[in-house]
Amino acid sequence: MTLPLFSHGAFGHAVGLLVGTLIGMGFGFALERAGFGRARNLVAQFYLTDMRVLKVMFSAIVTSLVGMALLSGIGLLDLSLITVPETFLWPQLVGGLILGAGFVVSGYCPGTAVVAIGSGNLDGGVALAGMLLGSLSFGFGFGPIESFYRSGAMDRVRLSGLLGVPVSVIAAAVVAMAIGAFVGAEKVERIFSARAGEPAPASSRRIRRGVFGGFAAVATLSLVALALPVAKGSAPVRSAGRLDAVTLARQLVEAPQNLWLLDLRPPEVASRGTLPGAIVMPPEDTNTSIVEALSPTRKLVVYGQSDLGALPQGVERFGGEIAVLAGGYDAWKASILTAPLPPASPTPALVAEFRLKTALHSRFTGAAAAEPPKLETRPAAYGASTPPKGGGC
Amino acid sequence: MLQARPTFRSAPPAERLLWNPYMAGVVIGLVLLASFLVMGFGLGASGAITRLAVGAAHLVAPKTIEANAYFAQYVGPGKHVLDDWLVFEVLGVFLGGVLGAYSAGRMRLAVERGPNASLRKRFALALAGGLLMGIAARLARGCTSGEALTGGAALSLGSWVFMMAVFTGGYLVARLVRRQWR
Repeated sequence: MTLPLFSHGAFGHAVGLLVGTLIGMGFGFALERAGFGRARNLVAQFYLTDMRVLKVMFSAIVTSLVGMALLSGIGLLDLSLITVPETFLWPQLVGGLILGAGFVVSGYCPGTAVVAIGSGNLDGGVALAGMLLGSLSFGFGFGPIESFYRSGAMDRVRLSGLLGVPVSVIAAAVVAMAIGAFVGAEKVERIFSARAGEPAPASSRRIRRGVFGGFAAVATLSLVALALPVAKGSAPVRSAGRLDAVTLARQLVEAPQNLWLLDLRPPEVASRGTLPGAIVMPPEDTNTSIVEALSPTRKLVVYGQSDLGALPQGVERFGGEIAVLAGGYDAWKASILTAPLPPASPTPALVAEFRLKTALHSRFTGAAAAEPPKLETRPAAYGASTPPKGGGC
Repeated sequence: MLQARPTFRSAPPAERLLWNPYMAGVVIGLVLLASFLVMGFGLGASGAITRLAVGAAHLVAPKTIEANAYFAQYVGPGKHVLDDWLVFEVLGVFLGGVLGAYSAGRMRLAVERGPNASLRKRFALALAGGLLMGIAARLARGCTSGEALTGGAALSLGSWVFMMAVFTGGYLVARLVRRQWR
């Protein structure tokens, strides 16, 4: 498990920005070569004469997906460190509908508008101006729609976790679905191009065979990799969410009964101070029965001294949701155990943040004789009920 | 090459040098995979556009922007609105687009529109569509790059819902703006 490189601390923020620029250049170049700097190549998708958008998009998704499935199958990539966008079902459904409408009206989506500007299409610039105004409008109209914006929250849920199957099984299903969609799209294109009196876009048999066959081959390999012993640890993919110290502190005050805290630092360090109610288990501790015995109905929050690179194998056996305290104990010390400074330029948002931090600080430093939230650590009590294996993603 | 003056005519579609869509998809997929393997996260676009808008507005009215419940996540003490991976990634997208168009002989000032669409109508619709997308991308927490493509490959449930909704929205509205394109 050496990938992703950044999560394993291979380089810092500045190098990351440089890498981002290079990756973006590859993306922009390929989008231009796909024809996506020109609106009519994009909107042809919606008039069914050239379904280039669908073909490019699904080929890209499948390539990346089967690549990740294979690399994690052979133990090179830790899928739990791949960021999964959070799901907010209703705003994403409505946002998608509006964005699709905006796409066909303006002729571009946000990324392709940038490529259009780069290739000299002035309408791309106008579309981008619209997006800048739209972004600002959203912020200024945020108040009344905030509750809708947060509705349908399901955290970082993956299709594989939802269905309880390994990622490579979903990857194989997506490959089959994509190839079906490609064949269907080419049929539709032939009908509607003929109707519009245009030549139907054609892909050579060699390319189709090569690409479709390649997808199927890599998907099959990643399924075979499931049988490898190395894959066992990473097959039920865990997506550990991240919590910042302030959010965690709030949750500890509001509902301590919903959390387990696991301190992964060496016992001699932890003895100098832990989060209230934390169980101390050093990462090299192979006694995983502690974690397995914890009831999976609570969320398990793990932390080290600073940011955790990867979850230790033992922790992954926890049956329920896992979250990592961003920044570890250092972040807790800096944000909660240190008295917050009042904001230099007090705006309502900053004052509210300051009040929250002050309240949490006094709550957790124990200055106000407040009882720290007690989390009972009774592994034996839960020993009888074995946590479900492989779920909770 | 760049022409001396904008021509504003509807240019004929240049299909010569376009990649086969499946191959283009594989290349974009490899770029996305590289991003996942190196950084641990994928591509995006609208997030950087929002940061640009918030950054510009912050120059004009810093107090208003900092007091806004939504914009407060981008600006404030110790934060620079443009110091963000996505901003640099989208800068790269622009540079890659320039490189691609220039090397393919496709770089020229023009406006993409159908044979029957007036310039004024085309610009008005580009602005209106952009406005809708700017709002929608914030509501959905991403666009076709960050949600549909990247979240789709990461198998996020919400991203797949979003992707299907984008296609649905496009097909529902396509008929209304047909004369702009066809």
